[in-house]
Amino acid sequence: MDLLKRWVARQFTTRVIVMMPIAIAINIVLGYTVQSVLKLPIYVDSIGTILVGVLAGPLAGALTGILSNLIWQYAPGIGSGSSIGPFAVTAGVIGFLAGIWGYLGVFRSRPASGLGLIVPAGIAVAVIGVLAARMYTIPNYSDPNNGYPGWVYGAIVVIGIVAAVAVAGFIFVRRDAAGAWVAVAGAVTGIVAAVISAPIVAYVYEGVTGSGTDLIVAVFRRGGADVYNASLGQGLFSDPIDKTITSFVVFLILGRISVRVLARFPLGERLVGRVADGESQPPDAG
Amino acid sequence: MTNTTAMAEASQAESSVLPDFVRRIPVRPYLALHPVTKATLAMVGAIVAFGVRGWTGPAVVFVAVVVSGAVAGVLRRTLPFALATIPLVASILVVNTFLYPNAKDAIVTVGPLTPTWTGATAALQATLRVVAFGLSAAVFALTTPIDDLLVELERRGLGRRGAFVVGSALGSVPRTVERAREVTDAQRARGMDTEGGLPRRFRGLVPLVGPVVFGALAEVEERTMALEARGFTAPGRRTLLRKLPDSRPQRLARWALLVGSICLVAVSLAGAVKLP
Repeated sequence: MDLLKRWVARQFTTRVIVMMPIAIAINIVLGYTVQSVLKLPIYVDSIGTILVGVLAGPLAGALTGILSNLIWQYAPGIGSGSSIGPFAVTAGVIGFLAGIWGYLGVFRSRPASGLGLIVPAGIAVAVIGVLAARMYTIPNYSDPNNGYPGWVYGAIVVIGIVAAVAVAGFIFVRRDAAGAWVAVAGAVTGIVAAVISAPIVAYVYEGVTGSGTDLIVAVFRRGGADVYNASLGQGLFSDPIDKTITSFVVFLILGRISVRVLARFPLGERLVGRVADGESQPPDAG
Repeated sequence: MTNTTAMAEASQAESSVLPDFVRRIPVRPYLALHPVTKATLAMVGAIVAFGVRGWTGPAVVFVAVVVSGAVAGVLRRTLPFALATIPLVASILVVNTFLYPNAKDAIVTVGPLTPTWTGATAALQATLRVVAFGLSAAVFALTTPIDDLLVELERRGLGRRGAFVVGSALGSVPRTVERAREVTDAQRARGMDTEGGLPRRFRGLVPLVGPVVFGALAEVEERTMALEARGFTAPGRRTLLRKLPDSRPQRLARWALLVGSICLVAVSLAGAVKLP
């Protein structure tokens, strides 16, 4: 009991308490701007959540996610009819997972060369391959009554290949083995987010959310999938891609924050690690 | 762009009115309710609108919200909130009416399109649900000053950390909106393309996200020092000076509504009572 209390108290230092509202604002504003100014078909509304989770821990991350969505929905002048509120559950889980990645040191920079780069890149490509193969072969996807249309399988292959090339490229260009773990963490977060979101979308909104992704839902429905499976299919498409991109953005942000500042956060040590040889700052990310 | 501008303008308009602690406590029927009562009403609205399937739950919430909005005199101002649900509602109506899985009762058949009654019914129910929930959030947002709610929640044990996080987040949003707008304008001046094709807009992501996030993070250090210097981590509870009138009937009504709505959802989900 006492251990639990200490664990909770350790996550909510004054620095984290100050960071959380700023992270919430970043979530809301970037989510809003990316979807309305740049009009991109991704969400980018969990950068702040993942940042807090990685820096402070699971509870702080989960709370940031939940509050982001509730404030987005209920605050005057911000929400105005957005359908984000019920997804507070998903956002909470994303933050919780980010906290676990923080404990595991997933986002710590791991400069390497030669074999040290080839092995993680190989692992990352293998994991992406396994995930894609898993999606390819889930039996109820090819069920003649509730299955998906044929082009889905082609799309899974293409997305898998693009993701593998992008992640391997990131690892080699930046000479940083951490890219592999960030990609895996992002993909896992995305799959979990999709699995949690699907029942919410199906139960609350009959399968659609009023954004560009509804087109994917419509195609799945045309292929004969029921409301839940169509939502799940759409989520399994959009979420792993969105969360992997978000994870890489967070990784780049963390790389630009000075070690001195990072180390003051509860999980700072796990982010900084052993970088005493003057290479604490990775080269310009551009 | 228009959205962010509107958000920034709304925040400016709000900051020009008197601060909350100077204002008189309103006497209009719905507005005079205790903020925790209004928060409970919003929560019960969400629970019933989403929890009770079919027509009854959303319809009851919709009527209740419209009536309370009218009593509070904010009905006209909820219109933008209702209009904002149009893309979602349109999508719900189209996708479900035309593409409802395994629905056989076609209304008409026009070429490859076969709208079904089952689909249309599900679509209309979902629409009512979404609009009722959206309006309940809108009425809550328009009638409840957040500062009042936070003070009263802190009195009930929220803790000053929780109150700070929510209050500060609300203040940070307009500031961050303003910053995002400045960054977007500056990057546009330097040639960032926000209107071109998909790859071009994707490239605009980095020059936007970077400055917004780093600018915001730069504040963390300063604010931490400021709070520590003012005894934020001191033990004990703060003395809250502002107290809003609460009453026994309101307290009872809050508990009754909350327990009643949860029971209603449980009963209707278990199928014990068949509601239309």
